[in-house]
Amino acid sequence: MTTTSLAQSTPSRRFDVLYWLRRLSRNFILRRVLMALAKIYVVITLTFFIVRLMPTNPIEAYVNELIDQYGFTYQEARDQAAALYGIDLEASLWTQYLEYMKNLLHGDLGTSYRSKGTPVAKMIAKFLPWTLFSVGVSLLISFTLGMLLGMIMAYRRGSVLDHVLTTIASIFSSIPNYLVGMMILVFLGVQWKIFPITKMRGAMSPGMKPELSWAFIKDIFYHATMPILTYVLTTIGGWMLAMKSNTINTLGEDYVTVAKARGLKESRIITSYVGRNASLPLFTQLAISIGFIVGGSALIEFIFVYQGVGQLLLNSINYRDYPVMQGVFLVITIAVILANFLAEFVYGWLDPRIRVQ
Amino acid sequence: MKSATENVPSDGQFTLKVEDLWVTYLAERGKVKAVRGVSFTLRPGETLAFIGESGCGKTTLGLSLIRLLPSTAEVEKGHILYRRDTEVMDVLQMNDRELRQFRWKECAMIFQGAQNAFNPVLRIWAQVLDTARSHGVTNKKEIRQRMEDLFRLVQLEPERVLRAYPHQLSGGMRQRVLIALGLLLKPPLVILDEPTTALDILTQRSVIDVLRDIKEKMDFSLILISHDLSLAAELADRVATMYAGKLVEVANVWDTYYHPLHPYTVGLIHAVPTLAGEREELISIPGSPPDLIDPPKGCAFHPRCPYATEKCRTEEPPLIPVAQDHEVACWHWQQVQEDGGQRMMVYSEAKAG
Ligand SMILES: Nc1ncnc2c1ncn2[C@@H]1O[C@H](COP(=O)(O)OP(=O)(O)O)[C@@H](O)[C@H]1O
Ligand code: SF4
Ligand SMILES: [Mg+2]
Repeated sequence: MTTTSLAQSTPSRRFDVLYWLRRLSRNFILRRVLMALAKIYVVITLTFFIVRLMPTNPIEAYVNELIDQYGFTYQEARDQAAALYGIDLEASLWTQYLEYMKNLLHGDLGTSYRSKGTPVAKMIAKFLPWTLFSVGVSLLISFTLGMLLGMIMAYRRGSVLDHVLTTIASIFSSIPNYLVGMMILVFLGVQWKIFPITKMRGAMSPGMKPELSWAFIKDIFYHATMPILTYVLTTIGGWMLAMKSNTINTLGEDYVTVAKARGLKESRIITSYVGRNASLPLFTQLAISIGFIVGGSALIEFIFVYQGVGQLLLNSINYRDYPVMQGVFLVITIAVILANFLAEFVYGWLDPRIRVQ
Repeated sequence: MKSATENVPSDGQFTLKVEDLWVTYLAERGKVKAVRGVSFTLRPGETLAFIGESGCGKTTLGLSLIRLLPSTAEVEKGHILYRRDTEVMDVLQMNDRELRQFRWKECAMIFQGAQNAFNPVLRIWAQVLDTARSHGVTNKKEIRQRMEDLFRLVQLEPERVLRAYPHQLSGGMRQRVLIALGLLLKPPLVILDEPTTALDILTQRSVIDVLRDIKEKMDFSLILISHDLSLAAELADRVATMYAGKLVEVANVWDTYYHPLHPYTVGLIHAVPTLAGEREELISIPGSPPDLIDPPKGCAFHPRCPYATEKCRTEEPPLIPVAQDHEVACWHWQQVQEDGGQRMMVYSEAKAG
């Protein structure tokens, strides 16, 4: 009986598999998901090997220390180090890679070399929220404000206001963010003492409990002020200029002229006809910039002593803390790819020409 | 006022009266004098067609009637008097609010090449609502009812079109949607700028049929701008021929097609299949319309005119009435009348080879 049922089910199951494969290959969302996963895999692999090509690693350093200071033999020192870091030093790079990937699949990012035994995932979970918070708030501010200013510039193009704003925007969008950060630190913090930099250090005040209270929210914004200001200043110019040029193009579209001929209220034309269409392309850029800012957060968080992943990354590079480095790269990569992924959907959702055939 | 008095019908009724309108564009090379002293009267319910080659200022004239010229343009002079019931307003004197209410509710302009006339991210229904609400009409059911009727009138499926995004409709459909939308608020005045250009022949035909049908069923005055003379012949009551920013002949449709008195009109008519449909060869007038930055002295048509004399090169002929409902701006219109425009036709054919 079992044999007959098997014989019967095989063809239909094969048919099913083919059917599903065909459907899946046509599925837009699935294709994107697979692409995203492939990208993540490639980046993980590259990071793993590149990180290991860096000169000197902490284990070698530790081994040397043991030999120099405590008179260990080389073999003894290596055994000691291996035991401490919990890794097999004899294993080939390839074996290490397979091991790493296997652990990753189980959600295990390894443990830090430097803070011996601390799981990388735990460290990232501690630092990442602050980066997401400061970068997210900055993007929100600079995106909305930049769009608004860009539209004003386009509507008042040729005016003094437009020239002033365009100049400022071009300057700010061409200065690297760490320079702006340093300037804020030096002038607003040290020279003119507008920001009490020592008090503003860290992601929140000592003794502050993370909770949904006004005091806590105020406190985290207070501590994030300087990084946010830096991110906003260095990204807003790009939004302004992009929005200005998009708005000018949109203003030349027939449908805007026709909207005027239809006697629509100016406010309606500005928001739903000009603004909405001019901002469409910016949403794709928004996703890309999320990655850029998270990636570029390291120096800013270092300058302002802000406890985000950027800071974590810098420290881990300093100490050749591979697992942490890899973990942070992994998280940044996933963040960027996820953001791009989201952007495509947001764009499709905002633009019916893509959504509706 | 004086230049337009000739135009005014005896009962003094008009929907629109344009007096001595001058419009220029500020271009890099200089001032483009696109409309140079145009005067005409549009009677209630009539269709007045503006014909002429491309670049003669027809679109500029149309845009200036609803003050939607680009920012580089300037109305240097003139009056645009619009009349509703007993009230007469000068469009050029309206403030922003009055102007906004005038547009579409009083005067709907359907644009040349309306392929891109709709906001790509909003459904047609949303854009219909936008239009109605901006003019204080808020009853959704009423709007929907009226729009459905209008869509049926222009041979569109109301349900489907209202739900659609612009990109889901073909060019011809979009053109008809815009025409229907133009009639939503029952404007007394409609301007159609090249309603059939950029459409394929079949679609052109259906749009023309739709226009004729609408014109029969509804009561509004229509300004039809077209370089397509057969379209004008089918729809117009009167025809105004425009050349180099000026009106050179204004006459009823019959006279325009069978007894044109301006050499330019003769050339235009001769260049297309005639009204009755007997196919004639398509011969265009040799040469091209002048550069409007520095139009020729005297009669602007003289470089292309076989009737031209010394007088034509120095003195500008005024637009004068020469018969009932027939005005022409040519020093030698009588000669044209005598030879039936023969010299112009021969000239065109000779140059065409
Ligand atoms: N935005 C503009 N700037 C400068 N010149 C223009 C502009 N629009 C039209 N013109 C010029 O004005 C003249 C009349 O153009 P237009 O009104 O479009 O004529 P038509 O509709 O009869 O083809 C042409 O010489 C054209 O080159
Ligand atoms: S005025 Fe002279 S040049 Fe002008 S159309 Fe008449 S005959 Fe020709
Ligand atoms: Mg035109």
